[in-house]
Amino acid sequence: MQGHSSLNVIDISKSFDTVCAVSQVSFEAQPGEILGLLGPNGAGKTTAIRMIMGIMRPDSGGITFSFADSNPTKFRERVGYLPEERGLYGEAKVHDLLVYFGELKGLKRAEARHRATKWIDRMDLTDWANKKVDKLSKGMQQKIQFVAAILHRPDLVILDEPFSGLDPVHQDLIKSFIAELRNEGMTVLLSSHQMNRVEELCDRIFLIHRGRRVLYGDLGEIKESFGDHIVHIRFQGDGSVLSSLPGVREFEQSDGRANFVLDQAHSPNAFIRNLPKEMAIHALHVDRPPLHDIFVKTIEGRNHEAA
Amino acid sequence: MRLRKIISWEFKAALSSKQFIIMTIMIPAIIAIAIVAISLTKGSSGQPSGPPPPPFLIGLVFSMILFLGAFMTGIMAMYAIIKEKQSRVVELMLSSVSPWDLMAGKILGLGMAGFLQVLAWAATAYFAVNQFGSFPLSSLTLVHWVSYPLYFVLGYLLIASMFATVGAAIKDIHSGGAVGLIGFLPYLPMVAIAAVVENPNVTWLRVAQYFPPFTPSIMLMRIGAVPLVSEGREFVPAWEIALSLCTLALGAFLMMRFASKVFHIGMLMYGKSASFRELWRWGRQRVA
Repeated sequence: MQGHSSLNVIDISKSFDTVCAVSQVSFEAQPGEILGLLGPNGAGKTTAIRMIMGIMRPDSGGITFSFADSNPTKFRERVGYLPEERGLYGEAKVHDLLVYFGELKGLKRAEARHRATKWIDRMDLTDWANKKVDKLSKGMQQKIQFVAAILHRPDLVILDEPFSGLDPVHQDLIKSFIAELRNEGMTVLLSSHQMNRVEELCDRIFLIHRGRRVLYGDLGEIKESFGDHIVHIRFQGDGSVLSSLPGVREFEQSDGRANFVLDQAHSPNAFIRNLPKEMAIHALHVDRPPLHDIFVKTIEGRNHEAA
Repeated sequence: MRLRKIISWEFKAALSSKQFIIMTIMIPAIIAIAIVAISLTKGSSGQPSGPPPPPFLIGLVFSMILFLGAFMTGIMAMYAIIKEKQSRVVELMLSSVSPWDLMAGKILGLGMAGFLQVLAWAATAYFAVNQFGSFPLSSLTLVHWVSYPLYFVLGYLLIASMFATVGAAIKDIHSGGAVGLIGFLPYLPMVAIAAVVENPNVTWLRVAQYFPPFTPSIMLMRIGAVPLVSEGREFVPAWEIALSLCTLALGAFLMMRFASKVFHIGMLMYGKSASFRELWRWGRQRVA
């Protein structure tokens, strides 16, 4: 796979004064995949992204791109970036601004105009095309920034918290656009704290904590490797008997509902066979732990080790 | 290519900004009001009278206009850069263009707008002088026509780049502090205007004129004053003009490079004003 990856990060490190922000981080991303870059606040995500973007230079290690050699102009044309710190030229008109950003990315004016109009339409902002950016709500500006990152159809797009500040409807809209870009063969690097969104979108994840790699790999495999299952039950009858079944941990119940963890040594099949016959079950949901739990547990575990 | 796009974007943005329009109109308006007021107190005799002003005056008027224009545009550049950092649009810009393109584009784009502004002021000044005497255009020699615009353009680039460096280094307009004083350096020689009139060829002036921030003001005054003192017998030697233009051009270019370096490094350190020492270190640092 090495030869096909569009982004290759090899052993990069960066320190500020005495603080080590990123330490020996390596990962790669292929065309047509979404790689989630996750980590708690201050883990080194933004520093890593800035190094990939060439805004900062790593102290050691290297970053290579299959779509652009070391020519920075060519690189800037082929990459798109939605920074975490948002900002636009407030005095400019929406359409003009997108055309300007498109042209700076190497698009011909006519092409940039055409695409800007199309995307303003898709973002449901047609009535705002000739308004000043300042007049737009925060969510609307966010959509404009997203368009600015992808208008030129880059080979690699880096999206830092693309969902923050958006209502659920627009989160879904942006999510569908991100999936569309992946299907068109773009390499997407997605950084977000919204674990449910990451879970829905990412093919693989890279979890970084205190500048170091904690987890890296296929999302499904990572979830498998955590082994435990999470069980939600709705039922009628006495639920306390559930807590004494083999493999049940972290049991919680409240009027006709119970949530607990089924230990990895016990299969869901065996658990279901052991359910008491007199209990009337309305709903039963067994799943791998959500990414949220994996994230929290892994980070807490690391903090514990360090302490 | 990209640089041209940025220049035209910044040029248009400046022309449509309210502060710019107000500044462009305000100065001629003040001059016009002054003319009306003076001619009212002088009575109805609006006859042009008195001897034509000497070329020295033209040098002075020119340097005044240059400094006013460069000062205004420089401050606009400084504001634009601070605003760009505060609105965080920089990261998006730097993912598309190099820091040099961004900085040079801003300085040149605003500079073109500033040039239009100064032309408007110069035209007003010309008419104003004509109200009280004839403007001695005929007393201007080829040296004036060639050298003044060059000092003007290069001087502007230097001054605007200095302001841009300050804008790139500081967090907001209130934390200018000592660094902000750099912007006043080019105006320092004007303090010595009496000395220049008395002896435009004094050695310390002829040395100081090669220090780029001082070059425009000293040379504009000297070129104006020399024929005045020596009755046209002797002009500022052509080689001095040529050399000072070269050092000024070099200084302006280096200052612009320095500004883009400080900009590049400074933007990664939001929320921190730079000390002189840091500025020096940032300017020399190699960045990706």
